[in-house]
Amino acid sequence: MQIRADRDDLAEAFSRANRAVGTKAALPILQGLLCRVSDGMLRVTGSDTEVTVRTSVEVQVMEEGSFIVPSRFMTDAVRRMPEGTVTLRSVDGEIELEGNGPRFTIRQLAIDDYPDLAEPDPAGAVKVDGELLLEAIAQVTVAASSDSARPILTGVLMENSDSGLRLVATDSYRLAVRDLADVKMNGSGLVPARGLRELGRTVASTVINVAIQEREAVFSSDRGSLSIRLIEGNFPNYRQLLPDRYPNEVVLGKEILLDAVGRASLVAEDHIPIRLNMGEAGVKITVQRRDLGGAVELVSGVYRGELDEVDIAFNARYLSEGVMATDGEQIRMEVVDSFKPSVIRASGRDDFLYLLMPVRV
Amino acid sequence: MLAGMAEPRIAEPILHVDMDAFFVEVERLDDPGLCGRPVAVGGKGRRGVVASASYEARASGVHSAMPMVSALRRCPDLVVAPPRHGRYGEVAGQLFSIFRSFTPLVEGLSLDEAFLDIRGLRWHYRDSRAAAEDVRARIRADLGLPASVGAAATLYLAKMASGRAKPDGIYIVEAGSEMSFLHGLGVRELWGVGKATRRRLSEMGVETVSELARIPAPLLERRLGKAVGAHLHRLANGVDERAVSPYGAAKSISAEHTYGEDITGMEWLRAELLRHADRVAWRLRRAGMSGRTVSLKIRFSDFKTVTRSETLADATDVTRDIYRACCRLLDRAGVGERPVRLLGVAVSGLEPEDGPRQMTIDSGSRWEDAADAVDEVRARFGRGAVAPARLRPGRSGGASRR
Repeated sequence: MQIRADRDDLAEAFSRANRAVGTKAALPILQGLLCRVSDGMLRVTGSDTEVTVRTSVEVQVMEEGSFIVPSRFMTDAVRRMPEGTVTLRSVDGEIELEGNGPRFTIRQLAIDDYPDLAEPDPAGAVKVDGELLLEAIAQVTVAASSDSARPILTGVLMENSDSGLRLVATDSYRLAVRDLADVKMNGSGLVPARGLRELGRTVASTVINVAIQEREAVFSSDRGSLSIRLIEGNFPNYRQLLPDRYPNEVVLGKEILLDAVGRASLVAEDHIPIRLNMGEAGVKITVQRRDLGGAVELVSGVYRGELDEVDIAFNARYLSEGVMATDGEQIRMEVVDSFKPSVIRASGRDDFLYLLMPVRV
Repeated sequence: MLAGMAEPRIAEPILHVDMDAFFVEVERLDDPGLCGRPVAVGGKGRRGVVASASYEARASGVHSAMPMVSALRRCPDLVVAPPRHGRYGEVAGQLFSIFRSFTPLVEGLSLDEAFLDIRGLRWHYRDSRAAAEDVRARIRADLGLPASVGAAATLYLAKMASGRAKPDGIYIVEAGSEMSFLHGLGVRELWGVGKATRRRLSEMGVETVSELARIPAPLLERRLGKAVGAHLHRLANGVDERAVSPYGAAKSISAEHTYGEDITGMEWLRAELLRHADRVAWRLRRAGMSGRTVSLKIRFSDFKTVTRSETLADATDVTRDIYRACCRLLDRAGVGERPVRLLGVAVSGLEPEDGPRQMTIDSGSRWEDAADAVDEVRARFGRGAVAPARLRPGRSGGASRR
């Protein structure tokens, strides 16, 4: 095997595939990148068997062949080469990386050890605007759990709704729902948030083909493909949580609210909530800690409700993450009472909602 | 500025209150016939151990944690009373109410001992002795029980002082005399120095606290490990910055049982874990607490002991959550078919039930409702009235009490 390529092209391909390589892989061989050179292309595969990235780059091929190299080492080595043209060549069980002075030798791994990964099946894929999809993923994955003891909550439910493709995630303390209008999926599934978060840094492009198969979700573009094994199990029935109407609501400036919650967070902790008093003047935020001190601040806003005022308490981090995920200058916060879930949306937009469970005080 | 009106200050503001032979004294309260006789509370079975011994029994060499068989050998007149933990818990509840009527800064170490920070009572008592006397008098008047009180400027000196105060007395490590008090002690009297540490210190030629204080901290850390070494160095030099924490992180609620005959096999172990989990959950609810960390303790027939723990996403007081965590821990412990002598389940990281509580989308689940119903039945008909189906009496599979 011998190829010549531009350093930047090569670095990009390896970096993308490297995103799928876990630091604690089940099989040692999965620390490696599978590389195939043929037809004027270098095709690179990285996988932890749950998330698999396949990408390719046009190169000048002097000799075809396949090999496996340690992912981190290869990726870092290419990135550190001087810019310009570099060559890759297999010599006696090693890969030589050379160009404009430096030369790395990289030990190959045994290609026979690499597991057989089924080729991604793009059947039934639908085209989705890449930017919108990335935005939607970023908005809902904040609400996904990272607790491996509750695997179902580490996923994002992708399903069809009345208005299009719907993405839903919850860690049971909050729930984020985003609709992408006019997208009709071929199926539904629970996609690990960990894999979805890699989309932007791997194969995202202006148009992304999305297919949800029985066992995996496949995202593909001109940059390659990202396949993610689905989580098995039933996602919580989130629809029953969404009340038909909220009798009380307040509209607030997003940045002003974020700043205020940020200040209150200096006092708050995971088990010390911030308290919101919603009323005519807007929202008064207070937080008090016996051992440290407190903070109080009025965020002015427009309140409309059946109750004269509502007191409700939230975990400060969950609240600010929800406000941050909401896209718009004005946000609308809807509440029923102190013990019912509250909903945050962008004022005047209904394609995203962030449902937040209160803290009972 | 008014001259001569300096704020009063209690020089030794930490009290450690420790009940004398608590279980025995509660038994005597309910059965005055036991007064004046050597009494031990504990199991009567082959593997029963002494949980609490009266001072009459101690005079014959009986002490707690001793096998009951040996205790009876040393003291043939010994009256053995089976433990009634529910009753002790009830009295302990009243005891802690008394503590909290003095100060909110109460940190319980167990059912029958606690630290009280009485700094805030500086206008009420001229010194720590007056406060200690009042605490003892209240316990005596309201509960009819003897208590010993130690007072000092720091927690651990107060704890050691109460040991000196026993039985039924007061001992004060006066402010300024801490070093002379400490340096008169042997290292074995330091709270938290166990057998292993004592042996290592002994190998270094250290027997007394004054010798310990002279060892440079880095050397101690090398010999005993960083944390223990640094800790002991500070203690030996009278440095203890820990404050009384009302919701101490170390507090836990547990249930454990030493089996008359070893138990073997996963099915049986799981059934016993369910029993323990149910008991711990019930105790948590009674105490108005819930906890996030579940710990499992297993002692094998060869006395090798393993503990495993897991922290849950949410604090719980529900049998099912605790039991499920226990099963995961049991799987991780790799027990297999090894005979087990003791099983214990503990929940720590406790939070008061009425403290702030993050609600979840499945809040108010059916399991919490079920727990409430169980509590209602037990309150009316006793603890044995309702139990998980797998534990029902007579069911095969070894789950029934032996």
